[in-house]
Amino acid sequence: MNDTVIELKGLTKRYGYGDTESFALKDFDLTVKRGEFVMIMGPSGCGKTTLLNIIGLLDRATSGEYKLNGENAANISAARQARLRAKKIGFIFQNYNLIEDLPVIENVALPLVYTRTPRVARLKQASQALAHFHLQEREYYLPSQLSGGQQQRVAIARAIVADPEIILADEPTGNLDSRSSHIVMEELKAIHEEGNTIIMVTHNPALTTYATRVINMLDGQIDTDIKTVADHKLPKPVEARSKKRKGRSR
Amino acid sequence: MSLLIKTHLKLARISIKENRTRSFLTCLGIAIGVASIILILSLMGSISRLVSNQVKNIGADLIVVRPSTNKDAMSGIISELTASSSYQKSNLAVSDVPVIKEIEKVSAVAPIALSTRSVSTEKNTMDSVTVLGTTTDFNVIQPLAMRYGSFIDDTNENKTAVVGHTLALQLFNTTNPVGKTLTMMGNRFIVMGVLSEVEESINFNNVDFDNTIIVNIKTLEQMGVSEQIQQINIKAANTDSLAEVSNNIRERLKEKKSGDVNFTVLYGDEITHPAGSLFTIVSGMLTLVAAISLVVGGIGVMNIMLVSVAERTHEIGIRKAVGASGQNILLQFLFEALILSLLGGLMGLILGYILAFFVSIVTPFAPYISLQILLVTFGTALLVGVIFGIYPALKAASKNPIESLKHYR
Repeated sequence: MNDTVIELKGLTKRYGYGDTESFALKDFDLTVKRGEFVMIMGPSGCGKTTLLNIIGLLDRATSGEYKLNGENAANISAARQARLRAKKIGFIFQNYNLIEDLPVIENVALPLVYTRTPRVARLKQASQALAHFHLQEREYYLPSQLSGGQQQRVAIARAIVADPEIILADEPTGNLDSRSSHIVMEELKAIHEEGNTIIMVTHNPALTTYATRVINMLDGQIDTDIKTVADHKLPKPVEARSKKRKGRSR
Repeated sequence: MSLLIKTHLKLARISIKENRTRSFLTCLGIAIGVASIILILSLMGSISRLVSNQVKNIGADLIVVRPSTNKDAMSGIISELTASSSYQKSNLAVSDVPVIKEIEKVSAVAPIALSTRSVSTEKNTMDSVTVLGTTTDFNVIQPLAMRYGSFIDDTNENKTAVVGHTLALQLFNTTNPVGKTLTMMGNRFIVMGVLSEVEESINFNNVDFDNTIIVNIKTLEQMGVSEQIQQINIKAANTDSLAEVSNNIRERLKEKKSGDVNFTVLYGDEITHPAGSLFTIVSGMLTLVAAISLVVGGIGVMNIMLVSVAERTHEIGIRKAVGASGQNILLQFLFEALILSLLGGLMGLILGYILAFFVSIVTPFAPYISLQILLVTFGTALLVGVIFGIYPALKAASKNPIESLKHYR
């Protein structure tokens, strides 16, 4: 079994040319194994978000290699990248990014629309995901009728609904008070323990206790990289989930 | 694919519903364009139906020879407008009639020679009365109902005339002037018949029989009046050999005119095509106006779609982040534009027929509905939707997801 989910080699992201040239990422190498909870820290402008956007296939690197699940993901067409985003990547944002006009359940089901899941199955899966976060009674609320913490949990439900390979979280607690923030982190911890791989960008050093690996970035490069949990102790995917995943990749 | 189409349709419905007023006004723009197209098509259809019904009544064995102009359509219209063509001599002559009559399987030939004359009776004098010179065969080809008296014949030695229903009243102050005389071109004519009122004033002869005097073309020849022939009506012996007979007519006339083919031989449905160039001008102009209003409506659709795309930039960013491809986004917005214009098309269809109904109150043109018109309507609406929806949709599809996510309303 291939345990490597993400493999970055010599990844460079350059903005501007000549005198205005600057690097958000410079010759960046990173390998993330299945079951890791990576927390990326660093000062503003060190390239954290750029890194997350490139891993999430929202942005393209100027040069370098990117393998997602052993497959090349860097130099493929935008349409294929979109398909990978739908199937293999779950996003969680600081400002939740829910569609205001759609009820909560439709928001959660959104990635399944683009994996071409039939409507009934879509809503069923979304409903299960919401139940997971104790929001089953809010299915037909609009996002604006929920608190920030609830909205973020909806966003987490949306991120895991398509059973992705990796979950990318960009400051998921940045807009939340400490209580909501704690609940959200507990939820993330719970889905991590189910065997999900999470990469999270944060400014808050207190949250690093949840992580199995903490990376400090500086000027587009890794400053320090500390693993707090040994590789063999990482949570294994739940049996049913891994079976499902194998079945799909065939 | 069908799955996504369903989703796109649903999204479009939600979006249109949420901006109800805006969507309605946009649809109205399309509707006005489509309504004018419907009105024109309905009018044209109803006119050709009137004529084709007449041809059907007369029988399917009718062949018509019309002079053709050597000019192209556009300059023909211009010369028609400047009236110079009324002085142009028709290419058909009275001497063509016996030539055609000799052809096999031709059972009757009637020339149509129209002119305008001053006519006076004991009671009234009228300028510019339409005079139709023809032969007795005319009544064989297209029997006209007589109210009083009989149709012109060849045996009568006197100069005789048949008068239209309305004209009889105007000239003689009576509906039955049979036996009375009228004077035109310095000659006295005896009225030997009055036509019954003709219900449909539009026909393939381009003659308003209610306001026409019919005289024998031989009489006109004897008087030394050289008439122009606008049309020659021919009745074939049977309907099977129409193509063959019309071909023979073409060949024989060509021979007679030493090789000039400055005429057209028509039969069947070809006759029903409205030939008047005024009709062509009017319907052409109306179509142009309709096309312009459709373009304006289309610009409205494009405008609203651009607003919609701008308003929903954030949503586009979210959709892209969770896995929508550019194509998905493109289709989503294209569907919205298509539904807007189809709704507009539907509104236009209803509006157009309401207008056509009002027109039918004051004119003899009944609203004309056909599958063709429906297809043209929805085809046009779809086309407008695609043409004016594709740019906003492309704009939406090409949005950068990262930038879009930062965008707030």
